[in-house]
Amino acid sequence: MISPAAAYRNLLLFVLPALAVYLVFAVLPLATSIVMSFFQTNGASGDTFVGLANYERLFTHPTISARFWNALLNNMQYFAIHLIVEVPMGLLLAALLTSGKLARSEGIYRTLLFIPATLSVVIVGFVWRLIINPLWGLVGFPLLGTESTALTTISLMSVWQYFGIPMVFLYSALLAVPNELVEAANIDGAGGWTTFWKIKFPLIAPQFGLIAILTYIWTFNGFDLVFALNGSAPGPNYSTDILGTYFYRTFFGSSGQLADLDLGAAVATVIFTTVLVVTAVYFWLVQRRLKSYSV
Amino acid sequence: MRSIRASIPLAMTVSVMFSSGVGIAYADPVTITLNSWRTEDIAVWQDTILPAFEAKHPDIKVEFAPINTNEYNAAIQSQVEGGAGGDLITCRPFDVNREWIKRGYFESLEGLPGLANFDKTSRAAWSGADDKTYCLPVAAVLAGFYYNADIFKELGLKVPTTSAEFIDVLKAIKKDGRYTPLAYGAAESWQLAYNGLYSIGPAYWKGEEGRLGLIDGKKKLTDPEFVDAIAAFAAWKPFLPAGQESLNYADMTQLFTLGKAAILPDGSWDINQATSTGLNVGVFGPPVPKAGDQRYLQEMPDMGIGINAKSTHKEAAKTFLDWVAGPEFQELYVNAAPGFFAMGNKPVAYKNKLAQDFADLKKGAQLTPRLALDRLSAGTPPLDDETWRLLQVMYTKLDVTPQQVATELQTGLASWYGPQKK
Repeated sequence: MISPAAAYRNLLLFVLPALAVYLVFAVLPLATSIVMSFFQTNGASGDTFVGLANYERLFTHPTISARFWNALLNNMQYFAIHLIVEVPMGLLLAALLTSGKLARSEGIYRTLLFIPATLSVVIVGFVWRLIINPLWGLVGFPLLGTESTALTTISLMSVWQYFGIPMVFLYSALLAVPNELVEAANIDGAGGWTTFWKIKFPLIAPQFGLIAILTYIWTFNGFDLVFALNGSAPGPNYSTDILGTYFYRTFFGSSGQLADLDLGAAVATVIFTTVLVVTAVYFWLVQRRLKSYSV
Repeated sequence: MRSIRASIPLAMTVSVMFSSGVGIAYADPVTITLNSWRTEDIAVWQDTILPAFEAKHPDIKVEFAPINTNEYNAAIQSQVEGGAGGDLITCRPFDVNREWIKRGYFESLEGLPGLANFDKTSRAAWSGADDKTYCLPVAAVLAGFYYNADIFKELGLKVPTTSAEFIDVLKAIKKDGRYTPLAYGAAESWQLAYNGLYSIGPAYWKGEEGRLGLIDGKKKLTDPEFVDAIAAFAAWKPFLPAGQESLNYADMTQLFTLGKAAILPDGSWDINQATSTGLNVGVFGPPVPKAGDQRYLQEMPDMGIGINAKSTHKEAAKTFLDWVAGPEFQELYVNAAPGFFAMGNKPVAYKNKLAQDFADLKKGAQLTPRLALDRLSAGTPPLDDETWRLLQVMYTKLDVTPQQVATELQTGLASWYGPQKK
């Protein structure tokens, strides 16, 4: 019989390698970045502690804050489009896949629908840019070159790429719904529609909520597709600028721009906090209350 | 925090020292590293330039260590501030470099014999507030217009020299209807400024007169010469391909190289791409407002090389830079990387025909760097970024006038730049 103290020691021993990696490569850089946002780095005179000055600049400087709020609003729109289009689309396809109507071709559809999610964003961006290119493509209208359409266009490209993720999440959740419940509902006279909304959906609601919050995290950390398509000053007129590209531009600079590491760290901290707070509130207020029905 | 950030480059340096430990033990050649943002130049340096140098100086070995262009500034800043970085660092021109000099990144180059090969203008992009030179000028790029000589011949067109002739040529191509007059689009805003406005604009604002006028506050962007320049740029709009708003740089180059467009406003760095399909390509300089006016050409100092103030091999680095200042390097480099031009005061022969044509455009023209990169982009909002943005707005919206663009640029600049506040 192992004593509780020894059990804890063993446990620690098992956890230690992973914990060490996590501390060094995740927690430490994050902490360093947060600390950095309170400093002014300058080669000649060393680092000076400046308190909240970087944040003050971020939130009140006429140009810097205007770009920041613009990026935040764009990011909300980017998230909203994913939430409204991608998640329901994933649910619909998952429902179709598990409806039994596709019979033997279910596996083929599942694979085909998931393929875009496995592609590199660079390829997705390149292919879509060709498809909607007014010179060589199928669409004559400059979708990416017009302020009113550019962000929606990019969001939909991203939706096209990633709808497979919520689909497989919800698909596996739907598979776990016990057949007896569905059969019982059918015997009671419930049709496909009623069965889905009254029986299946409540059972997968926790997973549905989870995928919604994951979408929030992914879109607020979004960067790659916009960068691949429009670079780090995403136009026209910053209409496709999201927090990720704004951070990149600030932190890395450009050929004619100094890299502002401190302000960049402040932006990163704000992004981190935004994601953390909303996720925490969601889990505390919503996810906790979603009932998981035991059968 | 300082120690954490410093420890990473330190660890890297230590490991480099161990891996080249043999060199230390036997006092073999000193190895110095050269940082650059030109990852595409690896072969140029490793196969052509460095062997030529090492043949003359067997005691020094140079390692070309490029960093991804987009991350270059951040990488250099954190490495140098952490006490590491290459012995030699490729310098950005003007404002970025001035700040780097201010932070003490570089060793002053005063007293380096090779510096005498460069005049004051060539060194200006890499001088500090103390007027000393901190980086050795390596290469400049030019901007102009590539044209498809066969299309010009077929339509009986002559290379334009004035703005009016330029528009007439564009009209004639458009009227014929078979070719797009200008391969140009607004998706990448940087090139609206660099290949468009900053190329034809100097003829209106009189090159250095206008540029230095903005810097010392004697001129404003709302002055007629700047508004006229923006208007001359806006006049290209009817001659662009349909859907130009979302055409990027690769699209325009492709449109031209496929022989579907007659003229490509572009920089000299694109020589290889513009001629890649074997078209009969010529080049002409920006047109002047009236016949007989002074010609201007955008010559942008693109890169210099400086010595890291924290380098432990400064003597070797100086020997290398002195060689870079000489004609052997310049001839090697500009011919290995066509479209880049030597900045020394001795003439250099270019083996690439188009490069030679570009270089010939300098004769009789007054040279001027890009309008907004010297001092005017050292604050927020940077004039250069604002120029990119507003030219793009002008090209993607119908109702924005050159006057509005000029006014907004001026407001942005005057919000932080001292001499313009008065």
